[in-house]
Amino acid sequence: MSFIDSIAAGLTLVGNIESFLALALGVIIGVIGGAIPGMSATMAVALTLPFTFAMQPITGILLLLGVYKGGIFGGSIPAILIKTPGTPASSATILDGFPMAEKGEAGRALGMALWASCTADLISNLSLILFAGWLASFALSFGPPEFFTLILFSLTIIAGVSGDSLLRGALSALLGLLLATIGLDLVYGTNRFTFGDPNMMGGLNFIAVLIGLFAIPEVIAMVWHPTAHLGKTRQLGSSWVSFADYKKSFKSIVRGSFIGVFLGSIPGIGAAPAAFLSYSEARRKSPDKENFGKGEVEGVAASEAGNNGVAGATLIPLLALGVPGDVITAIIIGAFMIHGLQPGPMMFVMNTSIIYGLFIGLIVSSVFLFIFGSLAIRGFKYVADVPKRILVPAVLILCVYGVFAVNNNIFDIGVMFAMGWVGYLMMRCHIPAAPFLIAFILGPLLEDNFRQSMLMSGSDPAVLIRGPITWFFWGATALTVFAIIRAGIRATKGLKSSTHEVDLSSE
Amino acid sequence: MNEKTLQMRLGLGACLMALFLVFVAIPNWVAAPSNVPNIILSPLFWPYTLSAFTGLVGLGLIATSMRLPVTDETLNDPIDDLGPARMRMIGIAVIMLVSMFLFPRLGMVWTCMLAFLATAFLVKTRHPVTAVICAILIPLILYAFFAHVAGVAVPQGNFVRLP
Repeated sequence: MSFIDSIAAGLTLVGNIESFLALALGVIIGVIGGAIPGMSATMAVALTLPFTFAMQPITGILLLLGVYKGGIFGGSIPAILIKTPGTPASSATILDGFPMAEKGEAGRALGMALWASCTADLISNLSLILFAGWLASFALSFGPPEFFTLILFSLTIIAGVSGDSLLRGALSALLGLLLATIGLDLVYGTNRFTFGDPNMMGGLNFIAVLIGLFAIPEVIAMVWHPTAHLGKTRQLGSSWVSFADYKKSFKSIVRGSFIGVFLGSIPGIGAAPAAFLSYSEARRKSPDKENFGKGEVEGVAASEAGNNGVAGATLIPLLALGVPGDVITAIIIGAFMIHGLQPGPMMFVMNTSIIYGLFIGLIVSSVFLFIFGSLAIRGFKYVADVPKRILVPAVLILCVYGVFAVNNNIFDIGVMFAMGWVGYLMMRCHIPAAPFLIAFILGPLLEDNFRQSMLMSGSDPAVLIRGPITWFFWGATALTVFAIIRAGIRATKGLKSSTHEVDLSSE
Repeated sequence: MNEKTLQMRLGLGACLMALFLVFVAIPNWVAAPSNVPNIILSPLFWPYTLSAFTGLVGLGLIATSMRLPVTDETLNDPIDDLGPARMRMIGIAVIMLVSMFLFPRLGMVWTCMLAFLATAFLVKTRHPVTAVICAILIPLILYAFFAHVAGVAVPQGNFVRLP
């Protein structure tokens, strides 16, 4: 099928009112979800997922992608207005966004956030269209040993989502891998931790685990401290972003977009590091670097370009290799699976129309983001007025219905509640939940490909280093592990020296 | 709890969990055929490997906790009403357990209405009337969507059945 034929097939699939409505609705849900602190884009995507079950695959996935795109931008709204990032990716936006809000320029900061987000989103989507197909055709030559090394490399993404402590991230990932062993054995069909319960023979439901890990802990945290969220909402102010502001920040926006694309295409790096890297590069190159941190509009542009540049690029490994780039794409991969689609190189052969339909939808999502983002900035005050102590019980009920709808099974609701308590304990112990989820998804794939490799080679481990692709991934894994260890040693040294300085000053 | 204590407790917890898995859980709850030609193909291999790694990470956590300085800084925000907070936690656990019991008996819609109300009052909502209205409307709207649009067989219970 030629490129033009593929585009035409994609257009046929998405060129209907249902798809565009789903995309628009997704962007609206995402912006609102991202704009509510404590809800986050991840939870918005997770809560929307069950509603896609009854839809056509393309419509459901477009709805989720809309939520994803909207959520990443939406996170900047509370970051600027109340110094609370709606998503972790918006953390860098606080640095200049909140000082601008304090100066009465919240409207200008939000406008620049929107313009930078839309520009970066477009660049990111174009990169996805250009690179995903190329990467997928390369991945067609992958066998179980290649996939094993790829997934092993992908597990190093845990370092990127581990937060303060790599060891706690590793512990979280191991718990996820252990939980993934529940069910019938892949090769021999024997029971593993099923306790004779038929509900557990197929393993734990992925949706129940993820909603339990991400949404229910917020409900429990609210019960523990019902007034922790109380804060103030700021006014938008009269000043608005101008074209001169955009022109001045354009270089930083483009640079930040490409930083986002590059980091987003590596599984697991995530949007927050991209935003901070983009911000620091913009400050380094800017003639007004002394204004950064005090309310510089270019700082807002750079950080928003960085985090939105990631949004399209995380879909590159998802579509081309079937590996989730971050937590949200891990949830989206669940949507693909529920609709009987397996993201990866074969999808570019078997479901070309869906791939190109998604590409077209993503381009349109940038336009919707601009339209609904502008409206959301003005309407956020009303959204923020939804009392959180009404919102939280509503989230609980949504979770119950959503999880039940996956398999029509009440047992899954029990799994969700149990995982909610696990997630809350992890939250209290500062163990990141993202490595748990990533490992839970990748665990069965890792084990399956490892055992398949061993079966095909007669248990000869040399099959795991059988060609250049496996060498490349072993090398990449070794390099990443080396970088992680080096960063850990440096951080420990930094902590020691700062402690030493504190001791000296106290003496 | 400070960083050092937390790291130490997590390390000890991970080590204990690894020991429990290796000596109790895996031998008792993982079945493996007796004629597996190679240990790495056995259903036991993966759980044992992961347990060993969990133990190693636990030891790593203990080792790093010993190198951490002792500080007064607590990791979680302190709470004023510790006793009532604990009671609320028991309350939400009871709501979850009772809901699980009621879903097949009372039906999902009615149970969700009760769970919504109980949770809203547990978090001390300042909008009781709104909470009651939402408690009735949200489960009904969700029922309408899932039962009539998505075709999900939402449990109806033994008492009042919805169309």
